[in-house]
Amino acid sequence: MTTQVLSETMPNATRFSVRTALQNAGIGLALLALILFFSVFTEHFLTPNNITNILTQITINLVLAVGMTFVILIGGIDLSVGSVMAFAAVVAGKAITLPGFGPAEAIALAVVAATLTGVACGMINGVISAYWALPSFIITLGMLNIARGAALQVSEAQTIYSFPYAFEEFGSAMIYGVPVVFLVALLLVLVAWFVLNFTVFGRLLYGIGNNEEAVRLAGHSVYWYKVAAFTICGFTAGIAAIVYMARLNISSPIAGIGFELNAIAAVIIGGTSLSGGRGSVIGTLLGAFIIGVLANGLILIGLSDFMRQMITGVVIIVAVVLDHYRAKYASK
Amino acid sequence: MKLLKIAAAAATGLALLAGTAQADDKPVVGLIMKSLANEFFQNMMAGAQAHEEKRGDYKLLAVGMQNETDFESQINAVENFITQGVDAIVVAPADSRAMVRPLKKAMEAGIVVVNFDVALDAEAKKQQNIELAFVGPDNRGGAKLAGDALGKKLGAGGKVVIIEGNPGADNANERRLGFEDSVAEFELELLDSRTAHWETEEANTVFSNMLTAHPDIQGVMAANDSMAIGVVKALESAGRDDIIVVGFDNIPAVSPMISDGRMLATVDQFGTDMAANSIDLALEVVKGGPQLEGWVKTPIELVVAN
Repeated sequence: MTTQVLSETMPNATRFSVRTALQNAGIGLALLALILFFSVFTEHFLTPNNITNILTQITINLVLAVGMTFVILIGGIDLSVGSVMAFAAVVAGKAITLPGFGPAEAIALAVVAATLTGVACGMINGVISAYWALPSFIITLGMLNIARGAALQVSEAQTIYSFPYAFEEFGSAMIYGVPVVFLVALLLVLVAWFVLNFTVFGRLLYGIGNNEEAVRLAGHSVYWYKVAAFTICGFTAGIAAIVYMARLNISSPIAGIGFELNAIAAVIIGGTSLSGGRGSVIGTLLGAFIIGVLANGLILIGLSDFMRQMITGVVIIVAVVLDHYRAKYASK
Repeated sequence: MKLLKIAAAAATGLALLAGTAQADDKPVVGLIMKSLANEFFQNMMAGAQAHEEKRGDYKLLAVGMQNETDFESQINAVENFITQGVDAIVVAPADSRAMVRPLKKAMEAGIVVVNFDVALDAEAKKQQNIELAFVGPDNRGGAKLAGDALGKKLGAGGKVVIIEGNPGADNANERRLGFEDSVAEFELELLDSRTAHWETEEANTVFSNMLTAHPDIQGVMAANDSMAIGVVKALESAGRDDIIVVGFDNIPAVSPMISDGRMLATVDQFGTDMAANSIDLALEVVKGGPQLEGWVKTPIELVVAN
């Protein structure tokens, strides 16, 4: 019964794999074109060091974008992730510098502190916006301010520093030139991909994005699924905080300003629809790569900061316009 | 200590809410700062509050802003202070032009105005027909101190890059100009100059990419220490210990980097004392001293390993 109703509410369900694959192929081609362009026009783009750099540089955005994908798939948005990341980093920074712990305990404590802070903020976002059916745009805008204020309050607006040496090691560790922090992000992508495609939970998130009412009528508690999506997004903000700390060995209360916009951009460029129900986390991975490659390549080419900002904006708009045509084509 | 700070902040907030500036006969000084999210202004406010307690002969009302570009709230703060009838306003303007008009209104209301940290625009002052002294550090001169330290180390022909602060911010501009002065004086070669918006992570990313484009960089001038930290981390992950970094602000987090040589130098402009010193100057005038004139320079100092 349930499955029958579900497939009715998700008319695309059977075509999903083919269509998302086509969509991802399109984004992949765009990425390939960018890579080709920068390889031809700059000297250092395709060097091993630069590739390592790009992987390091997209990690935080990718981690945030994975969580953001869940929220956007249910037709929501989370504007608070940058601030939540800073808050989680500051709480974890306080934890890791507590006196009287060995390095291993301190790091474990920091990881727990960061993820719990992220999860708590995400859950609050989810509970409030789902319980009262309020636009997540405005609830998470509130959380953006709450978390930023909390980060400044807890840190007294000071940069927290001197973390255990082992933590620094982790932040700069490589396996065959691939940063370990990037592998963590990649693992998140794979887990998210599995959850979204092969679990009932994941399929229901698509269902909610397509037709929330139908999922509710089919007897599922839409409320808890929505809370879960926002909680996952908060969790990834906590993970991003750990990556930030490991990479830079500081916790700054002004970290992550505007990161939510980059994460949203990665998701949208990756072909996930802002109105929910359509998209994939593999697309998000490619979207994060496009943003990262663009930021890196445009500096290598020697373009000015202002031109760089303009071009990034153009790419976002072009991606959304293309997505509009893709959606039109797909619905025929 | 922390409790005291919180209590002081709460008390200030309450005082502002109640709008009762004149509790007794002590002169009232309104202090307007920029973003309290910035370590620099946070320390400055703490310094001013300690100063109020130490002097004990004036009452301090302090306000900050949400972020660096929120100058609307600074204008509101000036207007509120005029309404409350404070004796002096000590202000670090977020925008060197936008603040001139409201401050003129304050002066016309008989309030002593002291402009510190960032100088008001000379043109705008002339247009509004006001004379107002500036109390503050020479950001350009300070940046030149750091740049010169780098220049001396590298010698003529040294290849350097600049990591700038927020485009359009006055102190960011001044510091960039100071660095460029050093580049000219020591005949350095400036390979690239980019903003990282004062932020560590962005500086880390931007500098890594600059290093890829120009592997022959020998020196880096960062317009604040938060960005210098990002540069140092980038150098560590690139395995380069041959590149010299200088910063600005002397925040606590860089002192280990300076003592172990990962950074050559930074510049201290004694932000903690700056507001307090400006308040002293304002109170002098309130008590009938002569008006301030021109540019009252506050101390700056190059910080290197000892």
